[in-house]
Amino acid sequence: MTHPNTPPRPDLLAWVAGSDAPEKRVVNLGFMALTDAASLIVAATQGFAQPYGLTLNLQRQTSWSNIRDKLIKGELDAAHGLYGLIYAVHLGIGGSAPIDMAVLMGLAQNGQSINLSSALKTSGVTDPEALSRCVRQSGAKLVLAQTFPTGTHALWLYYWLAAYGIHPLKDVRTLVVPPSQMVAHLRAGRIDGFCAGEPWGAQAIREDMGFTLATSQSIWPDHPEKVLGCTRAFVEQYPNTARALVMAILEASRFIDESQENRRSTAQLIAGSHYVDAPVAAIEPRFLGQYEDGLGRAWQDEHPLRFFGNGEVNMPYHSDGLWFMTQLRRWGLLREDPDYLAVAQKVQQTSLYRDAATALNIAVPDSVMRSAVLMDGSRWDGSDPAVYARSFALDGLTETAALSEPS
Amino acid sequence: MLRVLLIDDTPRKVGRLRAALMEAGFEVIEESGLTIDLPERVEAIRPDVVLIDTDSPGRDVMEQVVMVSRDQPRPIVMFTDDDNPDAMRKAIRAGVSAYIVEGIQAQRLKPILDVAMARFESDQAIRAQLQARDQQLIERKRIELAKGMLMKMKSCNEEDAYTLMRRQAMSRQQKLIQVAEQIIAMNELLDR
Repeated sequence: MTHPNTPPRPDLLAWVAGSDAPEKRVVNLGFMALTDAASLIVAATQGFAQPYGLTLNLQRQTSWSNIRDKLIKGELDAAHGLYGLIYAVHLGIGGSAPIDMAVLMGLAQNGQSINLSSALKTSGVTDPEALSRCVRQSGAKLVLAQTFPTGTHALWLYYWLAAYGIHPLKDVRTLVVPPSQMVAHLRAGRIDGFCAGEPWGAQAIREDMGFTLATSQSIWPDHPEKVLGCTRAFVEQYPNTARALVMAILEASRFIDESQENRRSTAQLIAGSHYVDAPVAAIEPRFLGQYEDGLGRAWQDEHPLRFFGNGEVNMPYHSDGLWFMTQLRRWGLLREDPDYLAVAQKVQQTSLYRDAATALNIAVPDSVMRSAVLMDGSRWDGSDPAVYARSFALDGLTETAALSEPS
Repeated sequence: MLRVLLIDDTPRKVGRLRAALMEAGFEVIEESGLTIDLPERVEAIRPDVVLIDTDSPGRDVMEQVVMVSRDQPRPIVMFTDDDNPDAMRKAIRAGVSAYIVEGIQAQRLKPILDVAMARFESDQAIRAQLQARDQQLIERKRIELAKGMLMKMKSCNEEDAYTLMRRQAMSRQQKLIQVAEQIIAMNELLDR
């Protein structure tokens, strides 16, 4: 006779610590080469995770699609994510079967930009009105790049264009280019402009390939930007790991925003070849809120990229998740109204966030909704998302938006 | 198809076992005698499972294989005609992934090997987790040590010491642990 089954083994890790100990100690953490990945890079390299018994394995990815695929396959446990990407997977937009996803926390607010080519600058297309005229006159449609079909950059770009009466699905052609390749595409003349995270806007200016037409914070001051995303299965299987991860990143976020000196050294760290891999000179100014648009205008921004804001940045507000769903609906990427509130409540991990923040004495807002007034004067407070999605002069509700394949 | 390396270097007849493995759908590569070449053979063949007789002198060589190929370890399954459960338990505790008794029918082999491989993978994962925990503890201690030294040198508090170390690390694109090691090394030099 045989004994293929071995006697039951006690969990070798059970004794390590109390019940709060992370179930999984090594976390594979994906990120894209963008300055708004800073809190992940700082948490992983500057000793913020060890006290929680975690090792953060940073893994730079070449595309958002890669991040999505690896999260689903479990090759990444959590990642720097786009709101639109997390919700698109959760809702099954783009042909794949829906997979329950989770937003553990916000990673950053503000700091993206819409940039146009130097050729457009030379022909005087340097403001929204001129762009609007140019779009109506020229025969060939302008080609504007964003970073993912359902991603935040697509939605910022669409929102901004529509606010100036330019229909993003009819008046221009949009396509997807990975953020770190934007400048090369501008140089090759394959695109006329792009919306992406930094440092790629600043780098386009440095290389004299383009100029910044608008910042994302001019669309919505202190808008939600990147999030820490994972599958819902990960949170359910490793709740302690998920909470410890949020705590480590919260502490790193607080550290970055604590002083100008910390910000400066963070900019130096993330410039490294393993991380953003771009010159410090391209990263640092905008990282410190010092903007220069490539047209000779310079200013200290009132709503620059930020990571903490006393926890304001990190709270996974339901209204933030709802807003992205309304925009996916507005542009026809969602063909029907989802059960907005139920989906946001499921995806936004507010209770886990509350536990993590409370343990660190970080203020947790009372409400899971927040309100804002956007560039076109429209007010968003999380109420009545279905009505909000239909409230815009320009939308794609009646046509089926083309889903370009992510690269 | 899964590839099984069957190490056949004892007088025991493995004819039936080999036939059973092949019948169960495995690709069987048989090695006999030349235990001295075993590490290279394992490297060249890259089997999914290694099957070896409990009495094989090659077991010590396999130990070496296990050590050498630590980066890409493979499950090792024992076969024997001794169905003593105690011996099996001991072998499994010692790191063997499963235990096969000669004379087994083909249809029972595949589930055993499947279990062996699954078990092996989970063992590897646990080992990696334990290793990570040890590494974290060591790093934490070294960082603490360096922080203490810095607090003394700069007469500053704990938080300031951490911030100084982190700023130093970040502006040089290093990890905190690297700066901690530099502080410890410098401190040892100055103490001498």
